Amino acid sequence: MTVRQRVLLEPAWLLHHRPWSDSSRILELLTRDHGRVTLFARGVRRGQSALKAVLQPFVPLSVSWSGRADGGTFAGAELAGECRPLPPGRIMSGFYLNELLLRLLPREEAQPEIFGAYSVALEALAGPGGEQEPLRLFEKLLLDQLGYGLDLAHEAGVGEPLAEDRYYHFRPGHGIFRAVAEPSPGSAYLGADLLALAAGRLETAQALRSARQLLREALAHCLEGRGLRSRDVMLALRRLEGDE
Amino acid sequence: MKYSPTLARLIEALRVLPGVGQKSAQRMAFHLLERDREGALGLSAALADAARDVGQCRRCRMLTDGELCVICTAPARDAGLLCVVESPADVAAVEQSGGYRGRYFVLMGHLSPIDGIGPAELGVEQFEALLAEGGLREVILATNPTVEGEATAHFLGELVARRGIKASRIAHGVPVGGELEYVDGGTLAHALAGRQVIS
Repeated sequence: MTVRQRVLLEPAWLLHHRPWSDSSRILELLTRDHGRVTLFARGVRRGQSALKAVLQPFVPLSVSWSGRADGGTFAGAELAGECRPLPPGRIMSGFYLNELLLRLLPREEAQPEIFGAYSVALEALAGPGGEQEPLRLFEKLLLDQLGYGLDLAHEAGVGEPLAEDRYYHFRPGHGIFRAVAEPSPGSAYLGADLLALAAGRLETAQALRSARQLLREALAHCLEGRGLRSRDVMLALRRLEGDE
Repeated sequence: MKYSPTLARLIEALRVLPGVGQKSAQRMAFHLLERDREGALGLSAALADAARDVGQCRRCRMLTDGELCVICTAPARDAGLLCVVESPADVAAVEQSGGYRGRYFVLMGHLSPIDGIGPAELGVEQFEALLAEGGLREVILATNPTVEGEATAHFLGELVARRGIKASRIAHGVPVGGELEYVDGGTLAHALAGRQVIS
């Protein structure tokens, strides 16, 4: 049974919101100490509601509510500290992270590490550095924290450490296996790239490409074959931007 | 209270309107039947006609009867200026401001990747066809100042700029007659970032 509770000014990020009845919203939040929370927020879509400016994704919030975490009553929110907005060109990446969390995170389970990593990833996306590295590091931490952890430094079964100059295959759900024959290009991962991902240092374009490929396979396994909508939308946008 | 089937059906039907609950629906039904039968018949005919005949303008996606809406066909409108908005209500709002004489493009929403709303749902193909027609000097991106609206404006802005057309974004800031003290931090930050030199 879920305990009814009052939570005051809990650090949170808004992952998604849906309209509900005429003037209200359903909020999907990632909170520090209560994990994923779904709240009913009455009246926040009204013309005069000051909360409209506050209840936005990618803005650090302090949120109060009462009742259950899977359908409680929203009681208020305020901005928690400085907010550096995501550059418009990176908002899609932010939505991608949000969809990952919505799809993979169980409700009402405190995940402070994921909360922290999400904050770090958003800060990195808002900063001047590359866009890909923060996304990959977040994906890896998410998989680790959810118990799909990957041992990327050792061969599955035998436990032998990877060699930098050898090629390996990745089998989702099982781990890393040494490639026996000379692999065709793109079908196997270089040991050095896997070790770079294991260490969380994706400094070369090659390491980033490998990490993207491997994490995509691992995530597809966790998502049980159901695709991500934000990825479809991103691809559609890229096709339009790329043509001509 | 139990009503006769026809009356109950009317009350239930009125509740499809936004902001109308059981009580208001009841009041409307009684008003129409007790005091304004003629108005009621007019309303039902107008509703039936509109639901059957109103579609989207072929050029701008605004709600309209025929192929093209009144704004797209008006000769006095500046064909070199296009304002992109999220909904028909936004067209009405910009029209009311009185300061705009160009044409519109209505997206009927904004990019919402988690809900699977992408470029196809927003009629981006039609938008690109408008750009390809030529003759546009400037496209004003007037999507809402929300995260989704910003993402939409950014994406459309790139498509516009790629064709060598000027793309601009509406300013966000302090409301006229407002007081800085009561303006939220996010809006104020936008107002400061978008400040203008006094000339």
